[in-house]
Amino acid sequence: MTRAMNQAGTHRKESYWRLVWGQFRKNRLAMAALGVLALLAVVAVAAPVLANDVPLYMIKSGRSYWFPNLITYPSLTAENFYRSASRWEPGADEYALRTPIPFSPINQTLPDKKRPPGAKHWLGADGTGRSVAARLIWGTRISLTIGFVSAGIAVVIGMVVGALAGYYGRWVDTVALRVIEVVICFPSFFLILALMAFLPPSIYNVMVVIGLTGWTGIARLVRGEFLKLRESEFALAARATGMGDARIIFRHLLPNALAPVLVSATFGVAGAILTESALSFLGFGVPAPTASWGELLYQSQRLVSSGVWWLVVFPGAAIFITVTCFNLVGEGLRDAIDPRLRQ
Amino acid sequence: MKAYIIRRLLLIVPTFVGISLISFCVIQLAPGSPVSFKLLGMQGSMQADANTQKIIEDTTRAYGLDKPIPEQYVLWLGRLVRLDFGTSFKDQRPVRDKLFEALPITIELNVISIFLIYILSIPLGIYSSTHTRSVSDNVLTVILFVLYSLPSFFVAMLLILYLGGGEYLDWFPVYGTSSLAAESWPWWKRLADHVWHIALPVFCLTYGGLAGLSRYARAGMIETIRQDYIRTARAYGFSERVVVLRYALRNSLIPILTLLGTLLPAMIGGSVIIERIFSIPGMGRLTFDAILARDYTTVMGALAMSAFLTLIGLLVTDVLYAVVDPRIKYD
Amino acid sequence: MRISVMRLGIVVAVVALGLAGCGGPGTEPEPGQGEGGGPSAGTLGGPGPAVSSEPVDGDWLVGDLPAEMESLNPFTSTDLYSSSINGLIIERLLDRDNETLELEPKIAESWTISEDKLTYTFTMRRDVTFSDGAPLTAHDVKFSFDKLMDPTTDAPHARNYYQDVTSCEAVDDYTVRFTCNQPYFKHLTMLGGLEIIPEHIYGTGDFNNHPNNRNPIGSGPYILERWDTGKQVVLVRNENYWGEKPHVLRRVYKVITNADAAFQELARHGLDVMDPLSMTEELWTTRATAASFEAEFNKFTYTYPGYRYIGWNMRRPKFADKRVRRALTMLLDRETIRRELMYGLAAITTGCFFVDEPEYNRDIIPWPFDPEGAAALLDEAGWTDTDGDGLRDKGGEPFRFELQFTASLPIHQQTATVFQEELAAAGIEMSIRELEWASLLQNVQELEFDAIMMGWSVGPDPDPYQVWHSSQAVKRGSNHVGFVNAEADEILEKARLEFDRDARIRMYHRFHEILHEEQPYTFLFCRKALVAVDKRFQNTKVYPYGMDSLEWWVPAAQQRYTGE
Repeated sequence: MTRAMNQAGTHRKESYWRLVWGQFRKNRLAMAALGVLALLAVVAVAAPVLANDVPLYMIKSGRSYWFPNLITYPSLTAENFYRSASRWEPGADEYALRTPIPFSPINQTLPDKKRPPGAKHWLGADGTGRSVAARLIWGTRISLTIGFVSAGIAVVIGMVVGALAGYYGRWVDTVALRVIEVVICFPSFFLILALMAFLPPSIYNVMVVIGLTGWTGIARLVRGEFLKLRESEFALAARATGMGDARIIFRHLLPNALAPVLVSATFGVAGAILTESALSFLGFGVPAPTASWGELLYQSQRLVSSGVWWLVVFPGAAIFITVTCFNLVGEGLRDAIDPRLRQ
Repeated sequence: MKAYIIRRLLLIVPTFVGISLISFCVIQLAPGSPVSFKLLGMQGSMQADANTQKIIEDTTRAYGLDKPIPEQYVLWLGRLVRLDFGTSFKDQRPVRDKLFEALPITIELNVISIFLIYILSIPLGIYSSTHTRSVSDNVLTVILFVLYSLPSFFVAMLLILYLGGGEYLDWFPVYGTSSLAAESWPWWKRLADHVWHIALPVFCLTYGGLAGLSRYARAGMIETIRQDYIRTARAYGFSERVVVLRYALRNSLIPILTLLGTLLPAMIGGSVIIERIFSIPGMGRLTFDAILARDYTTVMGALAMSAFLTLIGLLVTDVLYAVVDPRIKYD
Repeated sequence: MRISVMRLGIVVAVVALGLAGCGGPGTEPEPGQGEGGGPSAGTLGGPGPAVSSEPVDGDWLVGDLPAEMESLNPFTSTDLYSSSINGLIIERLLDRDNETLELEPKIAESWTISEDKLTYTFTMRRDVTFSDGAPLTAHDVKFSFDKLMDPTTDAPHARNYYQDVTSCEAVDDYTVRFTCNQPYFKHLTMLGGLEIIPEHIYGTGDFNNHPNNRNPIGSGPYILERWDTGKQVVLVRNENYWGEKPHVLRRVYKVITNADAAFQELARHGLDVMDPLSMTEELWTTRATAASFEAEFNKFTYTYPGYRYIGWNMRRPKFADKRVRRALTMLLDRETIRRELMYGLAAITTGCFFVDEPEYNRDIIPWPFDPEGAAALLDEAGWTDTDGDGLRDKGGEPFRFELQFTASLPIHQQTATVFQEELAAAGIEMSIRELEWASLLQNVQELEFDAIMMGWSVGPDPDPYQVWHSSQAVKRGSNHVGFVNAEADEILEKARLEFDRDARIRMYHRFHEILHEEQPYTFLFCRKALVAVDKRFQNTKVYPYGMDSLEWWVPAAQQRYTGE
């Protein structure tokens, strides 16, 4: 860190993160985890071409369409094709190139309910005959978004409040601590319930509420670190050189406090995904028929006595992989940031 | 130090007022009222009869809901100071009685789980921090993350199905906190019975917290071990054991202790689900049901009570903090 | 309208409430009222083994409470389970026959109704005593009525039924007379259903928070022995009961809030009977079909007296046209939902009456699931896709609406998503909004909804006036969908004054037809109650409104619990 401080010039910021990245790359495990996360992100983005009832390519009524699942064709819209694609079977002169999972996450085939994994549904079907594979793939979108956004909200609020409280101390600290205390003591389920009652159901509300109630741990963590760090040699040194507060906080102290925050944030991502499933249990999860990993887990709880294992194993594995990878990345990042490990 | 603690105690007051004000506003703003709830029936279906305006007005007055909202708040706060929580809209019992019935079991379950989480996860964290990237560290990590990834309601249902009689193993009771006939038993038998009953709920409250906390412990230890003074200690030739347990542990405990204060309310939230699944008449269930029924007085009482307990938890953390880290200044 | 339909047998709470009218609080798993066609009650497990000889006394009946009641005050408590338990402890002036559902004497041995139908005089038995030995007199009846009507009593929900009753007087110790301000065929049902509580117990102290709220005293066949909050409620037989004593000596209700745990407890014989509100269709069709379970329990089903529906807010222009409402009904595949998602344990209903009652018009056939017919109706009503976006529209407004309901049972959401998919294919966009109950109630009262999915519970002597008369189509009224129909109004008004049931039945059959034509609701299902009873219990019979556990007994050789 002292070395970083001595570097002057406009390229400093860039080179600092390049340095971190260079360190991070040496950690093979963390890189692998990052790769898995990237893959998940790809799955989330590519959901429409992976699992859809609208084909990749099709010939219908004498016209051919490329990627109707990505491009909205007015002629298809006019015949309400997009809302009823699952009912369309290509006729004699027609053709459809299906996506790998030829179901959308909301296609219900009631006779297929609780169908075990097999040729038709690779990962089985849920309580109303929807493809678990399709719901898992589209759920990746929702769940990762919920995880990222709510953890992001929590991290930002937590870091700012914690940093200000820890750095300035005195009345700033007192006020910040009061606010933190109020939020901590205010049972989040109560807040969630109230907000869910006020607001129209949407996944964004779920994210915001989870984020708004989840930042206190990070704030206290950062504050604790700052209490230690502001007495450290390099902070005193920085202050002695007449550096501005903002610069000291964000350039020098915060990176040092980042380690526990990152570990905490990785849990925050997975925690938000799990909180969402707990909300489903109480009837306040993502609004139906949206697919999320938590919603599948909630269904599995109900169906556990009928031996419907595929509803827990697959979303459970998805959450496990996500939390593990986030954690490995978090730890890899921490090692990379730590100046004491740098050559 | 003493002055710090006294000041810390005084600071409870503004927090408390803040909490009570916010919760009062939120419950008042929530759609639906206890009057219509009482008049129209319960969850799921309704009574058909149109209510005369007079009955609605009478009931509103009887509940004291005809006064302006600020006045209601002041009245409520005034009673609260005298430890009078009012009477429940739902059954007209004093809210205090309801709270004191529900509190002990919730506190017991949560204190035991938090204790277990700390007792188990700190050694686990130390172990993996001193064996980073070894096979045993990785296996441990995987197991903890698998546990973490399973929502408690699912695990609870699984345990009830496979360990609670029926077609499978009949090892644990699946509801309540003691056997119905327990009252006439000698104390040791009652105790064993109680422990047997709360084993599954405590397990469900505990397992998920292990991953998080042991991970923090591990991170904190790794962080600390890299500090200069630890290197110095090593250089002095202290054994690794002494270095870890005597020097590193103390400092790495700081961020973990911080979490204690935040763990408690999170767990009370989790209690809603576990108490429901295991038929335990605790605070989580009481509060949740009261919110759904718009039983304002019970909701307010329950919030005030859990806020108060959480505040005590935070206070303890802060004091512990001061004990563990002498570098923190208190002015 | 609180008359016990039957003697509240089993833990079957819903039964207890099949009070009069389209009303009475339901519970979490909403009752779906009635229809189906044909007797819905039937035995699945076959009749009990033929051990029977003469009924003998002895043994306990252990059941579960899926939710603990808050209080056992018969007037102030609103929940199902307190009515269920109080029904064994506290009695009423009249009773109903399980089979015929006719009102019959109980505490009152006879009654007369004045010529102008305004005065009701009950002559009471002289041998009735409360469980503490005190005689039950006309003064207790008057006390009970006055207490209920006292505005400071926290019982607005119950008081609501007695608004037309102006006074109650004790003519002598064993004669009581009620005066009403207008004639109404249900007055007898309501007055006969008044719970009678002892004045010498409840006469002093704060009634709302009375010590006996946790220890109710009445004249019934059971006495509350103990109530361990959060654990159990225990009733013992009233050995000094004035009437015919039940055979089961003790009833235990264990508080078990989780259905799977309750089932587990049943399977290991910790329970003799499981509350049908805990028995899900899922459990019933999976674990309850195991051979080991079938060998030890008799299984019964009967129809819950109540129904679920989707109500269309007819104040919204798009739902004002009955062709549209009928088209929407025809887009809901009720039969497949019933078969696949409800495991066939439900019946499709077409109107507001209970299927097993003669008021229900069995000539009416449910609208079929018919997307093409629905499309034709929508086209005819002017809802076509004019702007090429795939959605039907009319006057520039696309066909979009929101369906509100509570998330209390998975079947609600499943029904909604199946409906949603079908509507989408038909060019209608329905969004789903799940709310908790209090918020939904609020929206319904303030008429802030497009469509709602809810339930009504029903009972004997139904009077659909409150739900369907145009005068109730106001804020806070029960006619929240805004159904206004001159012929229906006339029928409903006349029926209230019609004291001959057969005449009423004819009127209601016509009313039922109007509902079917108009489709203010898309009527959905009435669910089956699923009851498993330990095989040692004899005389376990299913009646139109449920089972009556007061009739049950256990042969001496099979009795499981002995002693006190």
